Amino acid sequence: MGVGGMSVTVGILALQGAFVEHEAALQRLDRKIEVVLVKTPEDLEKCDALIIPGGESTTIALLARLSGLMDPLKKFVSERPVWGTCAGAILLSQTVENTKKGGQEVLGGMSIGIARNGWGSQIESFEADLTVSGLKDPENPFRGVFIRAPVVIELKPAANDPPVEVVASLSPELLPPALSAPDHSNEPKTFVALRQGLHFLTTFHPELTRDDRFHEYFVRECVLPRHSPKG
Amino acid sequence: MSSPVPPPTVPTPLVPQSAGGASVATPAPARSSSQSQSGGNLGTFGVKSGLAQMLKGGVIMDVVNAEQARIAEEAGACAVMALERVPADIRKEGGVARMSDPKMIKEIQNAVTIPVMAKVRIGHIVEAQILQAIGIDYIDESEVLTPADDEHHLNKHNYKVPFVCGARDLGEALRRISEGAAMIRTKGEAGTGNVVEAVRHQRAVMGQIRKASVMSEEELFTFAKEIQAPYHLVKETARLKRLPVVNFAAGGIATPADAALMMQLGCDGVFVGSGIFHSGDPAKRARAIVQAVTHYNNPKILAEVSEDLGPAMVGLTIDDELKGGRLAARGH
Repeated sequence: MGVGGMSVTVGILALQGAFVEHEAALQRLDRKIEVVLVKTPEDLEKCDALIIPGGESTTIALLARLSGLMDPLKKFVSERPVWGTCAGAILLSQTVENTKKGGQEVLGGMSIGIARNGWGSQIESFEADLTVSGLKDPENPFRGVFIRAPVVIELKPAANDPPVEVVASLSPELLPPALSAPDHSNEPKTFVALRQGLHFLTTFHPELTRDDRFHEYFVRECVLPRHSPKG
Repeated sequence: MSSPVPPPTVPTPLVPQSAGGASVATPAPARSSSQSQSGGNLGTFGVKSGLAQMLKGGVIMDVVNAEQARIAEEAGACAVMALERVPADIRKEGGVARMSDPKMIKEIQNAVTIPVMAKVRIGHIVEAQILQAIGIDYIDESEVLTPADDEHHLNKHNYKVPFVCGARDLGEALRRISEGAAMIRTKGEAGTGNVVEAVRHQRAVMGQIRKASVMSEEELFTFAKEIQAPYHLVKETARLKRLPVVNFAAGGIATPADAALMMQLGCDGVFVGSGIFHSGDPAKRARAIVQAVTHYNNPKILAEVSEDLGPAMVGLTIDDELKGGRLAARGH
């Protein structure tokens, strides 16, 4: 039992990428969180919620398939809270553009279309201050680290889907020139943190900073409301 | 084996963490960050070392054309290294090895969606400028190519593109980080298919870190002098009990077991050079090495993926007769 209530187990998909950073961030939170690094279907069964980290989405998808995790992950996404950062955000999307030849497998879970690598090569990677609704200390901007980041192309909730909520967006002049047409149609491309039901997506990397407010947000807003005592 | 210690978040060694840890320190000025009007910063040390963090637990594969790059991507490589000749061929053919033709690199960039890296000669300022101009994702300032400058490495702070450099011990790793490298790899002995030098280098780095982690401040000053590394980086490494940037294995890795061995010795991921496309079944071996790096602590999975891979590359004994000489001795 964790301090202040029942214990919660958050898994981090640990096939490839920056999963150790998420583990460290969860362990820095005041609330005690049990962390499981998920490499097999058995690991996944222990989890109340899941974080899919940054990394290479093609690599993570292939390793999930080879490790027998793809179908268990799709089932997990349909039932429990999941947060995807960068590559994880791509895997949580319904449709993906700029994929490798032959396309790429995704888990779905959020009613959005996304494009991989929306800014170009690594030399276009950047940091920017973000104003975020719903974080603790909201007057304090959050430093977003965007690394070969994906870009949200469209929100497409079906009639019965929960609404997609914009948690953070980027100043439009930071969009790459090819995407920054001033008309309204490009608005989704400024969205960098989105929430739908108990799922959450960020196109940047809160785990690369010492600022744990997004991890606190995910646990408070997505994990705990869904969580019920085990046994 | 316990899970690896988390690498530092953002540019730890070069920028002191704020005591409260509430917000991210902006990387130190005088690096090549350019400030846009709306507060976006390009090319910070945070995004340079951050990309390396995204590559962790992955395999970076040497490829010499677009077709090999596609095979690597399909096999689950987290990045490819574009070069004209793999190290085994550089050894065999001899001559001066240089940066690859930008046209060939662009063809590889167009063929895949994963990050594309390329090599420059040690100290070759202009080769690095050229690779940055064509939008390469990472530059390897590599001893595998013939050095252009036998005294000076590049000032890697001057570029927006991040750099990885080879190291044989802790002092060499920290000197490269001090010059701006955002990622380190063992040098190993490239093009031999013989893992012994990579093991030697990784054990040297980890052993020295373990020693430093229990030293008093006085001892750390002396240790920094002995290993010829900047004191502030030695101190930060001792505090973190690991290198302050991501550290991959490279040089001589030829089998899934070699890759998992380097992970168990504390590496964050693996470069495979000649080991894949000089083997009997490159696609199958590549995929097996990718799985071995993820499941490096699971002997059952390692046994499964090691099965029936066809012949590995021919390995070379590393002695004074080694054709092409010891590449790891280049740069210091």
